[in-house]
Amino acid sequence: MLRDLNTLPKYLRPEEFAALKLRELYSDYGYSFYRMGKFEEYDLYAKNKEFLISQDIITFTDIDGKLMALKPDVTLSIVKHLRENPENVLQKFFYDEKIYRTSRNIRAFREISQVGLECIGAFDEACVREVLELALKSLEKISDGKEYVLDVSHLGLLSSLLSRIDNTNLRADILKFVSEKNSHEIANLQIPELEKNLLVKLINVSGISELREIFRGNYYLAQFENLLGNFGGNVRVDFSVISDLNYYNGIVFRGFIDGVPESILSGGQYDNLMRRMGHENSHAIGFAVYLDKLGGNHESY
Amino acid sequence: MRVINVALPKGRLGERVCRLFEKSGLSIPGILEPGRKLIFEREFADLNFALRLFWVKPFDVPVYVERGAADIGISAKDILLEREPDVYELLDLKTGICTMSVAALENFADDNSRTLRVATEFPNIARKYYAGLGRDIDIICLRGSVELAPILNLSDVIVDIVETGTTLRENNLRVINNIANLSARLIANKSAYKFKTQEINNIIGKLRT
Repeated sequence: MLRDLNTLPKYLRPEEFAALKLRELYSDYGYSFYRMGKFEEYDLYAKNKEFLISQDIITFTDIDGKLMALKPDVTLSIVKHLRENPENVLQKFFYDEKIYRTSRNIRAFREISQVGLECIGAFDEACVREVLELALKSLEKISDGKEYVLDVSHLGLLSSLLSRIDNTNLRADILKFVSEKNSHEIANLQIPELEKNLLVKLINVSGISELREIFRGNYYLAQFENLLGNFGGNVRVDFSVISDLNYYNGIVFRGFIDGVPESILSGGQYDNLMRRMGHENSHAIGFAVYLDKLGGNHESY
Repeated sequence: MRVINVALPKGRLGERVCRLFEKSGLSIPGILEPGRKLIFEREFADLNFALRLFWVKPFDVPVYVERGAADIGISAKDILLEREPDVYELLDLKTGICTMSVAALENFADDNSRTLRVATEFPNIARKYYAGLGRDIDIICLRGSVELAPILNLSDVIVDIVETGTTLRENNLRVINNIANLSARLIANKSAYKFKTQEINNIIGKLRT
């Protein structure tokens, strides 16, 4: 068995090499390899459209006439095919798969490499911390000595602020403006001054201490503080990281590497998806790394 | 010393923004002189960064920024609404102020039973606005002189930028609805902002005062 990554053949492309390094990392942490051998029925994706980053799906008809799809995402399959009841046990998986999505710029499907992991079931804060740690280590492994950051926000905290606004259209606008760090549009909104000031503060938050002012006495705050406490300067609080509230709750995060124009890692806690898939009392957290995005900026690792 | 790449929109708005940079202590020699040069650089030793400014087509500014060819850019809000780039919008420069509006001929009365014909240079903005109203529309995408469309009965209404309203009045048109308030915005690439935070915040601080 190849244990030493330095002995790998020279013809491996940088992203393939990076994928192997990540697989080794996750496997060392006790995650087991998940392989998608089959296709899913289209229905699985159609029912959870908002969970998917791109909502276009390649469909085809199977031999028996069922409408099937090429996977636009791996997480949904992992959750669907759990062997054990996630309400009782903790299950950890990693994967290295091709997924099929459209990009916003060219209106066409592309095959994208995605390496990721999921931690599902009866878990505690230590698991969340482990996943964050692995996200950070993943960035370190693929950053080739360049600077990297992991931006983390907490949807529970954000929702507690949003819940003070009654109008759902306004809430959608607020989410958009927060994700754009757009303080001037927040200032123009027809909402009470108190909430306005808190939102503007939230946009500009850079450390946990500033959060104490905004979320005094909030249930999630101590949890969030506790979670981020031991990480160094590469983990930053940034509430512009937002994922769909119908699926995600708790922390959500994005990873960036200097010189790569988009986020290269994306993840979060998705208990709400578990609930939608029939697992009332279980938790789940995971992330995916998009190695294609390393692209031309990273010739060698 | 870090270099901050700035995409500026060619034309009147870009010139206004350059003057704003000048007033804020970020003047770039030669940038407003006529010529074909596209890239201008200056080091700011006291601020510990250099600026590299370049002129691009206004409609392209969000592309340069989203793709990371520019760390920051100055873009009119109408272009941001139309292209919806995945970028940070960090500052309202409060220049180039106008509105995105729906306008029609003086005697126009909307008939909800038919499809509304909308002429515009901003199909995405128009589509979203009418989808929000639940109105069935047909979009006639034009590249200019949009005011002509209702006069020639090419469209029922137009969705366009209105600055003073003079062009509308002279063509016997009036504003029916305002869709959005527009002005020049400073946008930043999401990744670049993580690694050049201090420099970009410095620029914003200077432009704000």
